[in-house]
Amino acid sequence: MTRPTEAQRRQWKEEGYLVLQDAIVGDELRRLQAAFDRCAAEARPGWLERVEAGVQSAMFFDIPNPLEKDEVFVDLVDHPSWYGFLMDFSGDDLIFLAPQVRTVPPSPVSYVGWHPDVPHTTPLHMKVQVYLNDVGPGEGGFAYVPGSHRKGAGPFPAVRRIDSMPGQKVFTGRAGTAILFNSYGMHTAVDNRTPVPRKSIILIYEKWSRERYSSQRFAAIAPLCATRARRKLFGLEV
Amino acid sequence: MPRPDAHSLRIDAHVHVFARASAEFPRETSDWLPPDREEPVSKLLKEMEAHRVGRAVLVQIGGTSLEHHAYLLHCLKTYPRRFLGIGLIPPDIPSAADHMDRLTDGTGVIGFRLSSLGGPRDPLDRIDIREFRTYPIWKRAAEKDYVLWLYPRSGEAHLVPFLLEAFPQVRVVFNHLFICPGKGKFSIDAKGRPRVDTPVPPMTRYATMRLNQYENVTGHLSGQYAFSREPWPYRDLAGWHSQLLRAFGANRLMWATDFPWIAEDPGYGPLTRLMDELLPDLTEHERADIMGGTAQRFLRFP
Repeated sequence: MTRPTEAQRRQWKEEGYLVLQDAIVGDELRRLQAAFDRCAAEARPGWLERVEAGVQSAMFFDIPNPLEKDEVFVDLVDHPSWYGFLMDFSGDDLIFLAPQVRTVPPSPVSYVGWHPDVPHTTPLHMKVQVYLNDVGPGEGGFAYVPGSHRKGAGPFPAVRRIDSMPGQKVFTGRAGTAILFNSYGMHTAVDNRTPVPRKSIILIYEKWSRERYSSQRFAAIAPLCATRARRKLFGLEV
Repeated sequence: MPRPDAHSLRIDAHVHVFARASAEFPRETSDWLPPDREEPVSKLLKEMEAHRVGRAVLVQIGGTSLEHHAYLLHCLKTYPRRFLGIGLIPPDIPSAADHMDRLTDGTGVIGFRLSSLGGPRDPLDRIDIREFRTYPIWKRAAEKDYVLWLYPRSGEAHLVPFLLEAFPQVRVVFNHLFICPGKGKFSIDAKGRPRVDTPVPPMTRYATMRLNQYENVTGHLSGQYAFSREPWPYRDLAGWHSQLLRAFGANRLMWATDFPWIAEDPGYGPLTRLMDELLPDLTEHERADIMGGTAQRFLRFP
C-alpha cells in the first residue's frame, strides 16, 4: 500500500487536494476505458428515455450500478494508486459510499456550480476523480479552490460564471490522471466548449462511521470482497 | 377604458384570454378549449382591477396562424397601455421571419413563445445550432429585438445554453418556474387546467440554473397549480422558489398568474399574495421587482 509522502500529507492538509498523474496507465487504462464505453453504450437508450420523461438530467449521464457490470470498476475502489492515501488521511478507517461513472456532454455551461459536498459536521468526506479521456483547458475539467476545505474558510462569492471564482485551480490532465480532494472544499466541473464529452469516474469515500455503515449497499458484489479489508471498505461488515 | 392606477407597477407577466370560436375570432378547438368556451379580456381586467394589477402580458392560445391571433390582436389594440402580447409560430411555416414581422408590426406583440427548439434530442450528438428548426426564429429575434418566451420540453433543455451563447442579445423569458415538462407528463385535471407531473426541483435544473450567467435570461414565478401536489399556497414549491431567487435574483424574476387556469382555484386574489407565502423574506425592493418591476424593465412596458 503506497502511503503519501510528508510533502503530500502537507499539501492535502493545507490545500485539500492531490493530483496523481498516470495513476492508471497502459493495459489497465485501456481495459477501463473499454468497460466504460461498453457499459455507457448499453445504458444510453435508457438514459435518453428518462431524459425525455424529465426524470433524469441530460447534462450528465451516470452508468447505473457500475460495480455490478464489470469487475474493473470494483478494483478501482481500492486501487493501489490512491487507496493508501485515502487510508492514511482517514486514519486507516475508511468506507466507500458510491461510484459515479460519468459522461458529461459538451455544453457552454457546466451542469453544476461551485459547491462543497458536505458540511464540516460530516466525517471526513473524500472523492477521487479519474479522467478517462484527456482533459485540456476548456474541456470540462474538475476545478477546486485550494484551501477552501479548511474550517472557517470563506465565505465564497456566489459567482454566476464559474471562471469568476477567486483562487480556483482547474485540473487538466491525461487519461488516467486521478485527483483526490477533500469534499468540504469548493469544487465544480468547468464548462466544456469542445465537441468531446468528458468521461470520468468519481469515487466517494468517508471516514468510517456507524451512520454510513450499510451491509446492503454493496451486497451484490459481496463475492468479489474476499478480504476483511475489502469487506470493511464496502460496508459489508463492521 | 380602464386606466392603470397608482399600482400599475404590478404586472401579471403571463396570462391567456380567448373568445368563443367565431368568424371574427377564429381559433383551434379541442376538448380542452371547446368552441363555446370563452375567457374574455373583460373578465381578466375585472380581476386585475379588483387586485390592483395594472398591466399584463397576453400569451396567445388557440392556434399559431395569423388568423388565430385575431382575438389577441383585438385585445392589444383595444387596451394598448394595459397589455403586451406574445404570439405563436406555426411549426412548419416556410418563413418564420415574415410571420414574426407581420404579427409584431405595430400590434403590441413583442415576442413569441417556443415549446420546441428543433435540435438533437441526444445530448451526445453533434450540436450545430444552425441546423436547429428554430434557428431562423432566434436569428430574427436577434435582428428585430423580439422576446422569446421559452417553455421547452425536458428532452431539449440541454439545447438552450447553445442558443443563448450564440444569441446573447435576445431577451429570453423562461416560463413557469424554469420547469421543462417531460414527454407524456402533461394532462388536464378535473378542473380543466393543465397538469404537469414533474419532480420539483426539476431534473432539468442542471441545464437551466446556470443560465443565470446570461444577463438576457429571466423567468416566471408562475404555474404553481400545475406542478404542486398541494393546494394553494403550494408550499411544496417554496424551496424551489428560494433556489430560483438565489440563482437569478429578484431583478430577473417575474410574477404571473397564468390566468384563466387559476380563476376558480385558488382565484386571482390569492395568486397576488403567493410570493408573500412562498418567499416571505423578500425585501420590499425585491417584492416590487418580482411583482412588476422586472417585467416593466425587461419587457419595456410603455
